Amino acid sequence: MSDAWEIVIGLEVHVQLHTRAKVFASASWGFGKEPNEQVDPVVLGLPGTLPVVNREAVEKAILFGLVVDAEIPEQCAWDRKNYFYPDNPKNYQLTQKDFPVTMGGKVEIELPGAARNIMGEHKWIRIHHAHLEEDVGKLSHSGSGSLVDYNRAGVPLLEIVTEPDLRSAAEASAFLNALVVKLTQAGVADCDMEKGQLRCDANVSVRRVGDTQLGTRTETKNLNSISGVRDCIIYESKRQIAQIEAGNKITQETRGWNAEMSRGYVLRDKEDAHDYRYFPDPDIPTLKISRETVNRLKKHVPEAPFDRQRRYIEKLNLPYTAASVLIADKALADWFETAVAAHPTNAAGIANWAANDLLRELSAQSGTEVGSDETPAVKISLDSCLIKPAQLAGLVKLTDEGVISKQQAKEVFTEMFSTGKDALAIVEAKGLRQNSDTGELEKIVAEVIADPAVAKSIAEYRAGNEKAINALKGPIMKRTQGKANPVMIDQLLRKLLG
Amino acid sequence: MAKGLDIDHLAKLARLNLTADEKVLYSNQLTQVLTYFETLAKADLPANSDVALVVTEKALRSDEPGVSLGSDAVTKIAPASYDGQISVPRVVDDES
Repeated sequence: MSDAWEIVIGLEVHVQLHTRAKVFASASWGFGKEPNEQVDPVVLGLPGTLPVVNREAVEKAILFGLVVDAEIPEQCAWDRKNYFYPDNPKNYQLTQKDFPVTMGGKVEIELPGAARNIMGEHKWIRIHHAHLEEDVGKLSHSGSGSLVDYNRAGVPLLEIVTEPDLRSAAEASAFLNALVVKLTQAGVADCDMEKGQLRCDANVSVRRVGDTQLGTRTETKNLNSISGVRDCIIYESKRQIAQIEAGNKITQETRGWNAEMSRGYVLRDKEDAHDYRYFPDPDIPTLKISRETVNRLKKHVPEAPFDRQRRYIEKLNLPYTAASVLIADKALADWFETAVAAHPTNAAGIANWAANDLLRELSAQSGTEVGSDETPAVKISLDSCLIKPAQLAGLVKLTDEGVISKQQAKEVFTEMFSTGKDALAIVEAKGLRQNSDTGELEKIVAEVIADPAVAKSIAEYRAGNEKAINALKGPIMKRTQGKANPVMIDQLLRKLLG
Repeated sequence: MAKGLDIDHLAKLARLNLTADEKVLYSNQLTQVLTYFETLAKADLPANSDVALVVTEKALRSDEPGVSLGSDAVTKIAPASYDGQISVPRVVDDES
């Protein structure tokens, strides 16, 4: 038997869908409202009320299914999950047990590479199914009592259940990152973890490498950040391995996670809480989902982020780093592509500006940290961006044509960002056009050529060795303190050397 | 008593404290209900007689926010409240 351990993880990801009204009631929902201000009789399950399913919630759930290549069954239905707990005003949660809205599917993930500029391994994680249910109320505890706010009760919640395909905390993080990017880019959900819009349960077990049977698993509930999921998996897998190595057995149990202490704990058993006595909800009829709806929603499926990344690297010759930054934000990637359409010959140059300078300025403007652990989807707004895609393309074109140097382009960019003016207009107004320096540069080039130290290189160049010309560029650059335009130096050299 | 009917377990799940007499009473009543369903289950029906009501998407509601009751109305129907929230005995999952 191997001494090495394998960690097996399955996740249940709960995502609040992007709708205005609740899933079975018309009460509105949204973060930051006073307690119990978004509650109506249907949410409370008062006598005489009937739930009616929100079309938008169903369509967002179907769209999720299409985004992950899932099957959309012809019919879906809702069940009652019965339990007595004050987070639920009607003593049952409406969920889908046997006929979920989507079946199967898969999500491509990318693991971190050896360095930021090296692409890591890609892997596919299978989705078992996703079901559309209602969120429950929020409890807060104080002293001898608990307080209940039902604003969250009835919010459309999509529970996405993976197969036990994840093998490390890093894979779980990568999966959640990839999922968040997909969900936000398709407009299915906002996934703001600080607002509790994405919460996760982690099923963890361990086994010896080579074992085919799964070990006994534990379920840690209510992880509300990607770092929490990662830390919990590391903690829980270490705990299980230590238990087994000490000769103990793993108990199948439900656990909680204390993020502040980075420590897991056993949840007190809610007296037969798992005996939910599911039965089909008699108030909500089985829903038939037409193929017309599915086909219409298919048109809203955006290009998969990693497909886009591959296209950028393979077709547009972008470096991995720039491609990976752009694809994380659909608006930015779309913006980039509009710019490339205006100047198709240097996509990599445009990408470099968009992924570095532009993104840095935009995030400084909005005060968000780009690409941090808890905001895998870049949160910047291009709405307030004064530079239009074609204008950035114009700037890159000016540098490509040697009108301005790269150094000067930085200065032009800064002004473009704050004023929204065209690059050319700024170049003209500031007198940056390199033509004004041509005379001076030509003088320097002539002086360098006259230097006997380079006579050998000149002879080689004239004898047909194209590369020999490069030996002359260094001294010219040195004399101009690096400010000369390399394209112009090249042109002048060729002109003067005949 | 019908197969699988455990009145103590059901009472616990329903948060009911039943007396010995009540246990007998409700066991008998529930057994009658379950026996009735067992009879229904034996009925000879055609193979594809799915009686579940199936609706199309026309039966869905549009995503239009409606009126909420307001926290005053919500807390008024609860036995106890505090600062717009419903107050209940302490129920807590946290580390103990």
